[in-house]
Amino acid sequence: MFKNILVPISSEYYSKGLLERTAFLAEKFKSRINLIYIIEEKVLNQTGKLSNGYRTSDEIAETKKDIIREQKLTADNIIFDDAKYYFKRKHIPFEEKISEGEFSSVIKRETNKKDYNLILMGFEKECFLNYRLLDELDIPIWIQSKGEGKSILSVCSNLAPNQKVPEVSIKLSKLLGWDLNMLYVVDIEDSVQVDKNGKRSDKKPERDLLFNGQNFVDDMKNKGINIKLVRGSLEKVTLKAAEEINPNLIIVGREQKKKGVLGLPIKHLKRKLAEKCKYSLLFVN
Amino acid sequence: MHKNNISNGKFTISKYSNIIFIIIAFLILAIFYFIPTPDGLTHSGQVMIGILIMAAILWIIEPIPLAVTGLLIMIIQPIMHVLPPDEVFSSFGNQAIFFLVGAFIIAGAIEKHGLHKRIALRFLGKFEKSPRIFTFGIMSSCAFLSFAMPAHGVAALFLPIVVSILIAMKITPRQSNFGKVSMLCVAYGCSIGSIGTLIGGARNPLTIGLLSDLTPPINITFFDWMIYSMPVVFISLPLVWFILQFSFPIEIKDISGAKKEIKNQVNKAGKISKKETIVLIILIITILLWIFFSSYQYLGLAVIAILGSVFLFITRTINWNDVEKRVPWGIILLYGGAITLGIGIQKTGAGTWIVNALFNTVGINPYIVVLVIIVLTILLTNIMSNIGAVAILLPIGIAVAAEIPGISPLLAALIIALCGGFAFMLVIATPGNAITYSSGYFSTKDLFKAGSLANIACILVIFVVATTYWMGFLGI
Repeated sequence: MFKNILVPISSEYYSKGLLERTAFLAEKFKSRINLIYIIEEKVLNQTGKLSNGYRTSDEIAETKKDIIREQKLTADNIIFDDAKYYFKRKHIPFEEKISEGEFSSVIKRETNKKDYNLILMGFEKECFLNYRLLDELDIPIWIQSKGEGKSILSVCSNLAPNQKVPEVSIKLSKLLGWDLNMLYVVDIEDSVQVDKNGKRSDKKPERDLLFNGQNFVDDMKNKGINIKLVRGSLEKVTLKAAEEINPNLIIVGREQKKKGVLGLPIKHLKRKLAEKCKYSLLFVN
Repeated sequence: MHKNNISNGKFTISKYSNIIFIIIAFLILAIFYFIPTPDGLTHSGQVMIGILIMAAILWIIEPIPLAVTGLLIMIIQPIMHVLPPDEVFSSFGNQAIFFLVGAFIIAGAIEKHGLHKRIALRFLGKFEKSPRIFTFGIMSSCAFLSFAMPAHGVAALFLPIVVSILIAMKITPRQSNFGKVSMLCVAYGCSIGSIGTLIGGARNPLTIGLLSDLTPPINITFFDWMIYSMPVVFISLPLVWFILQFSFPIEIKDISGAKKEIKNQVNKAGKISKKETIVLIILIITILLWIFFSSYQYLGLAVIAILGSVFLFITRTINWNDVEKRVPWGIILLYGGAITLGIGIQKTGAGTWIVNALFNTVGINPYIVVLVIIVLTILLTNIMSNIGAVAILLPIGIAVAAEIPGISPLLAALIIALCGGFAFMLVIATPGNAITYSSGYFSTKDLFKAGSLANIACILVIFVVATTYWMGFLGI
């Protein structure tokens, strides 16, 4: 299922938990790991910008060189050492490399070079790095957080095609041995129906959305899946359900929410979910 | 924030938001020029308030380099007939400017020959007893070196030293409290040390420059400054270190990895070279001269600084290329803007008017006023450049002193200058924070958590020192 996994680690944010999870998944799926340590350009630029005026351009350039050198040493001596510890003892094949640039751009460049089935990464709200890759890549992205549950919360809604999410959720649940809980959310803030091809309909009455939702729920129930129909705001309902279930992973699809509270345009739904959620997330794009 | 490029001699504004902020800043200035003048304020004073707000916006958002804002402040005053050009540009005759130039040249020589690294390693080597003591060693070494050279340079020096030690000790970024405390000790040690002498931060010479331009002038020597600032340094340093220990309890017990790495780096540095020795001797003599002979009846600050620099050239320990590489001329221009802003605010009566408007509601209890100035400066210095914050608040603080009994201009200026160094909470607050953040050993959350506690502690320290030592014991 995940033959090639790309694991980007930013110089801004590192967690051993990510490598531990990577080793766990790679062992289950017999994956190859590509570990890439990204020296975050935004942090270097920010440091340079702040020093501008106080220090000369030569001094700023010297400091930038020092930072890059130390970050390379950190990657070589600590992060790649950790990776060896986790991967070698489980005989997981892996490659490692260091790259300089902007987090999302480096990952996009990397995915253009090679076929990856999954991107496995950490997330921290307060970082300078930009997470635009969440909206710009078609590869599943797994955001690892600390979670100790043994279940999956799978989220479908009127705002997504709901094709890949059930399929991936069922597969993962079987392979990993985690319980599957599914949720169908009728988002009352953006009352449209997204079709199988990802196309948004015109605004629809709530009862129509609930009717479609009920059909989906019935279909899933027939497949033996534990599913609930809920109405409300997609983000809020998902987070509330996660608090109740305490899942190990939340699976979300290609949600196309355009309007939020008071009908105002909504941006970066996935990023918002990642910011507010303390559980691991899998965006099936 | 700005995205500019001044390395090739010109800067480009690359974001529309920057242009919007520039337009807003000028729009505010235009509004202040055209609106009717309220009672008690002259039209020139009103325009100066407009320039102050414009400068605040440009220094906070930084759509153009800080130094360019400094130049803008200077040229707008004659354009708007607030002050004549002669008077505006005469601020560059202040000896604090030449003190800054000399101090930068001396710091450049120290950096060129790696003397600062040798001193840092020597100092660190004395604190190898335990991980806790070692972090205190990092903090006090940074503070000590910031007494003799700009704090940002010290942070840049310590970054590779400390990261190499952490790597040698296999300390994992973000996960180890020892790693967090070590890097935060660099950031905070430099900030606290920068207030100790006139060299640590350019805001200190700016303050004495502005005070010397007052009528009657208040002349502060190098030694005077140390008498005022050192108690704050010596109380804040262990206090902030203790806060770091409390916020991130250190998990390791073995310090042998650090010992080994320091020894390794000392060996790499080799024996002290002849040129390093010359720089060290000149540095020591210059500092001694500053301490004992920087008053006006003797040599003055600038003469000593330039004398030290000239000796560096004579002994060929530095050349003009090094000066061009290592003296940030932009800060001199920023200084010019900041000082003319202060003089303009004072001369036009704008400062007095602002103070009356502000403190009519707060009241005139001097202790409350002191507290308000401390809190305001610390908040402002955390969201904008330190020198910008001090430049904006100094003229207001000095006007406060003129209006409120119990507060002298020196007291207000000292509070603002010293609090200007306490930028602990945000990465964007000071280059030292950003440089250490780039190591990846702490998060912005860690910085905010420890920084807000450290700032609260320093508010109390400054308040107590100001009300007991400065006002009570020294009678300023």
